[in-house]
Amino acid sequence: MRDRTVLHIEDNEYNRKIVRQLLSRTPYRLLEAADGEEGVAVAQRELPDLILMDVQLPKLSGLDATRLLRADPRTAHIPLVVVTSFALSGDDRRAMDAGASAYLAKPYSPRDLLALIHKFLPEN
Amino acid sequence: MRRASATERMPPPVVALLASPLGALVRAVARIRASVHVKLLAGFLLITLLFIAMTAVSLRTLTETARQTNLLDEAHERVGWSRQIEHALAMQMHFTAMALLSKDDGIVARILRENNRFNDTLARLEKAAPAEERALIQAIRGSQDDAMATVADIANAVRDGRLADAMTALRTRQEPLYAKIETLVGSLVAAEETRMASLRVSIAAASRYSLRVMAGFAVASIVLALLGGFVISWSFILPVREAHGFLSEVAEGRFGGTIVVPNRDEFGALAEHMNWMSRELRRLDDEQRVAAETLRSLNDRLALASRAKSEFLANMSHELRTPLNAILGFTEIMLDELYGEVPATLREPLVDIQTNGRHLLRLINDVLDLSKIEAGRLELGVGEYSVQEIVEVVHASLKSLALEKNLAFTAGVSPDIPPAWGDGRRITQCLMNLAGNALKFTRQGRVDIEVRLDGEWLVYRVSDTGIGIPKDEVENIFAEFRQVDTTITREYGGTGLGLSITKRLVELHGGRIGVESELGKGSRFFFTVPLRTDGGRA
Repeated sequence: MRDRTVLHIEDNEYNRKIVRQLLSRTPYRLLEAADGEEGVAVAQRELPDLILMDVQLPKLSGLDATRLLRADPRTAHIPLVVVTSFALSGDDRRAMDAGASAYLAKPYSPRDLLALIHKFLPEN
Repeated sequence: MRRASATERMPPPVVALLASPLGALVRAVARIRASVHVKLLAGFLLITLLFIAMTAVSLRTLTETARQTNLLDEAHERVGWSRQIEHALAMQMHFTAMALLSKDDGIVARILRENNRFNDTLARLEKAAPAEERALIQAIRGSQDDAMATVADIANAVRDGRLADAMTALRTRQEPLYAKIETLVGSLVAAEETRMASLRVSIAAASRYSLRVMAGFAVASIVLALLGGFVISWSFILPVREAHGFLSEVAEGRFGGTIVVPNRDEFGALAEHMNWMSRELRRLDDEQRVAAETLRSLNDRLALASRAKSEFLANMSHELRTPLNAILGFTEIMLDELYGEVPATLREPLVDIQTNGRHLLRLINDVLDLSKIEAGRLELGVGEYSVQEIVEVVHASLKSLALEKNLAFTAGVSPDIPPAWGDGRRITQCLMNLAGNALKFTRQGRVDIEVRLDGEWLVYRVSDTGIGIPKDEVENIFAEFRQVDTTITREYGGTGLGLSITKRLVELHGGRIGVESELGKGSRFFFTVPLRTDGGRA
């Protein structure tokens, strides 16, 4: 069984780096995209097992990208976690409306993120 | 702007009259430079003068009629006297004849008495008679004197027994004399009767004439009074009607109109003032319109600015969180020794970075919350929530802090509270703020959370044995950036926004917040929210 793939779509290099560090000691394979368009393209090409989507992205917003992926039958079933700016601002509701499987408010604790990944992709 | 309204709603006869030369007269009276008082006085004076003139004419007619009636009376009286003279004459003849027959000279005295009566009446008649009858009366007197002389002769003849002489004297001298006198008196009576007839005719004519004069006068007076009344009253009514139309225009918000009246009296002055007022209103209206326009455009710009501010805040929220996410994330994975073992000397500064990073996050959250509330953009996410769960979450989150400060920290919820309806996350935030504050400002003693149901209201209460709040500060405690003492901020931390946000959130739920506090002994904060909140925005 091949290693499960996590696609992280995030425009901030440092935040990508945190996830990279976090997953470096796990068996997950990590793919990265720096904007919404690239993220959608990578997702459709690689069909990852889990997508982490930042809400505010260049070129195509995280919510619009989520809707695109949900509309595509190849990617519609992939678990997708939207990283919102601020849970209380209503981003969470919008994320769920767009088709997210879960949401995580920024700033998140790396521990919580890892727990969430484990929840969707249990390690054998 | 000229109005037709002054002639509108007027009875047609009035309109016709005002279009005639009478209208010109009305305007002429209006143009007279005199006060309304003087004009009214003049009008009443004119009518009074008419009445006085009518009374004078009536009096004159009455006097003339009385004089003629008097003349008639006099003539009547004179006719009466003439009849008496005739009677006296007849009596004289009768007594003379009796003297002859009875041969009694005593009868002469009776004759004399009748003669005296005759003479007396004649003298009265002469005195009252008009000049043209005097000659007639003289003739009567002359004949009577002759008759008396004859009577004396007859009496002498009778006394001397010369009856034949007496008879002759009677027949030849006395009887013709009497006949003559009778004729004279008759013509006198006829003259008086003629005079009476002409007087009657002239009295009738005079009374007809006076009737006509009086009627004419009455009609003229009534017409003049009506005309005067019409002219004076309409010279007042016209400007009042103009003013009425003008004021209706003003009431409808059409300012700047002009009222034109010919009056040079109080109404003229009033019209001038109304025109002044109209100009002022127009000016103020224009100014107000300009101000409103300015305000509108300012408001539009402000709305734009507000929208821009909200967008800016939303962007800032993300922009601030992204680097903060990196700071807190790297700190956490370092502390979790993802990069290898952390030396003891580095652990403390790493924890400091984490503590300050979290504080910065709270600050950002509070400021964003408050600006959303200020902009009216904060909506409640209403749903069912469990009060017990909220209290448990808050108690669990703050338990470690209480333990650290060695404070007793309890939470009590009445078990009979049913599931509530509202924004559970916001209620949690409120209770967290109050309990967090209580723990922060309490050095020793206890902090207690208690929730109970009071009718349809949930009462959340947090009591502490902390430093308390001075009385004069209690009112300000819920204002933004208020902590009783700025040094407190440094000592106890906090943004100073928690209470203010809590108050707004409670109010959004339709509830209220309050505090009872005693300096040095502790505070009891409470807030109430409906068990079931329906609306999002309150």
